[in-house]
Amino acid sequence: MRSPFAYTPRPGPLQAASPGAAVAYLGALVAVAFLYSSPLVLAAAGTSAVFAGCSAGAGGAVRVALRMGLTLALLIVVVNALVVGRGETVLLRLGELPLLGRVDVTAEALAAGAVIGLRAAVAMVAFAVYSACVDPDRVLRALRPFAGRSALTAALISRLVPVAAADAARLRDAARLRGPAAAPLGRAALARRLLTGSLDRAVDVAATLELRGYSLTSPDAARGGVLVSRRFKSRYDRRFYLVGVIVLVAAIVGKLVGADGFHAYPTIELGVEPATIALSVLVVLAGLAPRRRNA
Amino acid sequence: MPDLASRPRTVPALEIERLSYAYPTASAPLTTDTGAKGALALRDVSLTLAPGEFALLAGRSASGKTTLLRAACGLVPHFHGGEIEGRIEVAGMDAIASGPGELAAAVGYVAQDPETQIVSTTVAAEIALPLEMRGDPPAVRARAVEEVALALAVPHLLDRTVDTLSGGELQRVALAAALVTRPRLVLLDEPTSQLDPVAGDELIWLLRRLNEEWGVSILLAEHRLERCLAAADRVVAMTAGAVSFDGAPTDFLAWAQTSDAALETPAARLFSLSGIDPLPTGVRQARNILSSAETQLGRVSGQWGSPQRSGVRFSPHSRSRTAATPAGEKPSKQGGPPLPRQDPPAATTRALWVELGEGESRRDVLRGIDLTVSRGERIALMGRNGAGKSTLLRTFAGLVKPVRGKAEAPAGVALLSQNPSDYLVRERVGDELPGGAGRAALRTVGLEHAMESDPRDLSGGERQRLALAIALAGRMEGAELPGLVALDEPTRGMDRARKHELEDLIEGLARGGAGVVVATHDVEFAAAFAERVVLLGDGVAIADGSAEEVLSGGWYFATEVARILDLPGVITSEQGAAALATRGRP
Repeated sequence: MRSPFAYTPRPGPLQAASPGAAVAYLGALVAVAFLYSSPLVLAAAGTSAVFAGCSAGAGGAVRVALRMGLTLALLIVVVNALVVGRGETVLLRLGELPLLGRVDVTAEALAAGAVIGLRAAVAMVAFAVYSACVDPDRVLRALRPFAGRSALTAALISRLVPVAAADAARLRDAARLRGPAAAPLGRAALARRLLTGSLDRAVDVAATLELRGYSLTSPDAARGGVLVSRRFKSRYDRRFYLVGVIVLVAAIVGKLVGADGFHAYPTIELGVEPATIALSVLVVLAGLAPRRRNA
Repeated sequence: MPDLASRPRTVPALEIERLSYAYPTASAPLTTDTGAKGALALRDVSLTLAPGEFALLAGRSASGKTTLLRAACGLVPHFHGGEIEGRIEVAGMDAIASGPGELAAAVGYVAQDPETQIVSTTVAAEIALPLEMRGDPPAVRARAVEEVALALAVPHLLDRTVDTLSGGELQRVALAAALVTRPRLVLLDEPTSQLDPVAGDELIWLLRRLNEEWGVSILLAEHRLERCLAAADRVVAMTAGAVSFDGAPTDFLAWAQTSDAALETPAARLFSLSGIDPLPTGVRQARNILSSAETQLGRVSGQWGSPQRSGVRFSPHSRSRTAATPAGEKPSKQGGPPLPRQDPPAATTRALWVELGEGESRRDVLRGIDLTVSRGERIALMGRNGAGKSTLLRTFAGLVKPVRGKAEAPAGVALLSQNPSDYLVRERVGDELPGGAGRAALRTVGLEHAMESDPRDLSGGERQRLALAIALAGRMEGAELPGLVALDEPTRGMDRARKHELEDLIEGLARGGAGVVVATHDVEFAAAFAERVVLLGDGVAIADGSAEEVLSGGWYFATEVARILDLPGVITSEQGAAALATRGRP
């Protein structure tokens, strides 16, 4: 079965855009998530990433990434609540626990964990959209002027995720086929095998790239140092670069004028300023950028 | 980029002089002064390939064939590291000084496993990549892609994404990407290992055509020598990293007869068992030799294999189950007593329909298959690439759900898929198979000695056996043995000696009461282990009968001996020799 994170060629602005434009756009959403702690802005960034994926036809990737991201967020909330003792609103006293010592679960630690978890979830959804919508072939070609002498670097950047996505389905099947007396496979072992296997495969891909002449001087570079060939540009590039820059600038300005009014400790403070609301609306609207105009 | 156009065509395509090489992980480094070369992958190899020459690289597994090809394309030592001595030139370029990128202008390389050498998302992009890397304009690229796609019969695949291709299709795409730049030298590492017999034969003759019409030099490493010996000008055999034979194909067969029987082709074995000289390099030559010998003796003129026309009665070899086996019991391939037939069946399908793909690409892969596999039965599942063999095995294992009909294996299924490495997760063999049951599984596949090894350090054949042990672990004893053991293309990259080991393993499983179904493109292997052959065509079982019946009744899905003699029921060298003896040797 095909992985939902595998790139699928579809007609659409995000798929047609150059890898640089797509990275600028999706990267801006991730940057917002890492700049802000306000749950409102984080939720807006997450919503925007979900909109972006669904508008680009990558609903399957978004669903799986959301499931994984929210599971991870939940795990972070639990771990943060157990290991961070800060905060004044004690919800639960668990007493002395082995290794952890005295554990008081506070509302503040839960909130702080939720913020970190939301950030991770936003990043995962944005990356899933990137993986499902940005053609790795174009990434590989775009990287050539920068990483021409290192096919391995290019292969790792452009191919690791697609290769891992392809391997994951096979490894899951093989795990189901193990005999009852074979060592059981936990998710951690499977994930480790997937990572090492994907690295090995990426090395094989790098060898093939060498054989295909990837390390030869790029013809574009030889003709005068043009880093990104004209053929990789798209009429949608300007849209995504523009939206990415607007979101990033608005996020920085918002940060300076106090739009990030959230503090978890010592007690939860959530300030919802007009600037916070404005930024959140802008970020959500940015998620519509991959929509077709006539759609 | 090297100016190849200015280099005269008389420059050898490949020139190797006293080349020795050790991989970086080798236990002993390269030391020529002491002569301690135990860890060398290549040792003192000298070889010259003239422009337009077609050479076949023969040898057992791990004899150095792949390393030699890697050295000729620059991956060794540039990509793999290690220590190297000697000289190697490709179309006049120093392969040790130049990297694979520079050599790419002159050499195309197709590795053993096509999955490891596909770097693009779509077929068209994959084939066009080398042209794009060297800066060819779009019009030139489009024409070259179209032409090579036509030559390799893949134009219908150009718009497909590579993850939707079968192994055989991937192999052809990889070959197209290697040929699209029209290199002077093409290096191929078992290119037919994943191809069905039809595609394999087509590929070999395509290579011959490229060789003759374009003057491309070809160095082809292959285990199934019967497929390509007739097309080759020359054979280079390797043993333990060194060249052990270098000469004409006919001389090679005579050498193999005395030096390494595992390299004998079925036709050569048929002739040597029958005491006929010279040994033939292919079907056509064999038929000619037999025909002229008969003519000289003033006996039957014309083709062999026309018993009806010649009036000669043929009595199949006693190994055929039609000969002397009681109904319901099958003879052992190793000549032992018939294997027991047990009820209930190991697996059954009834009107099985399976669809694969998503959206518009969804298609029927299996169409109304009815099949019963008895316990103790050994079945070869054959058919062209994409015929539905793997899907049928996966359906038995419950990995694929039918859209109609049913597939049942009441006593369980152990499936070894095409890529055994997928089963290997831990860093120690013993950790994969803990406890007494795990050790029993290892013992069954002959790997008990490798408990402490890292699975990645095992040879290809050993990894395959380990994966099978993992699939069987806990189900190896008596009634616990799964009713059905299914192996999907298990002979990829295996030499004949390894295949014999696999035949023994299959027979052991069948004796234990499992029905064994092996999806394979290897006709000779099927003839050696199977008692029954099911031939799939486009998702439908188009032939189902005894191995002797199915593998002697066609052209592509027939063994070399069957194609030479064309006698019903005669598929192996031994059967052929017996048939010749019965008719009176020419």
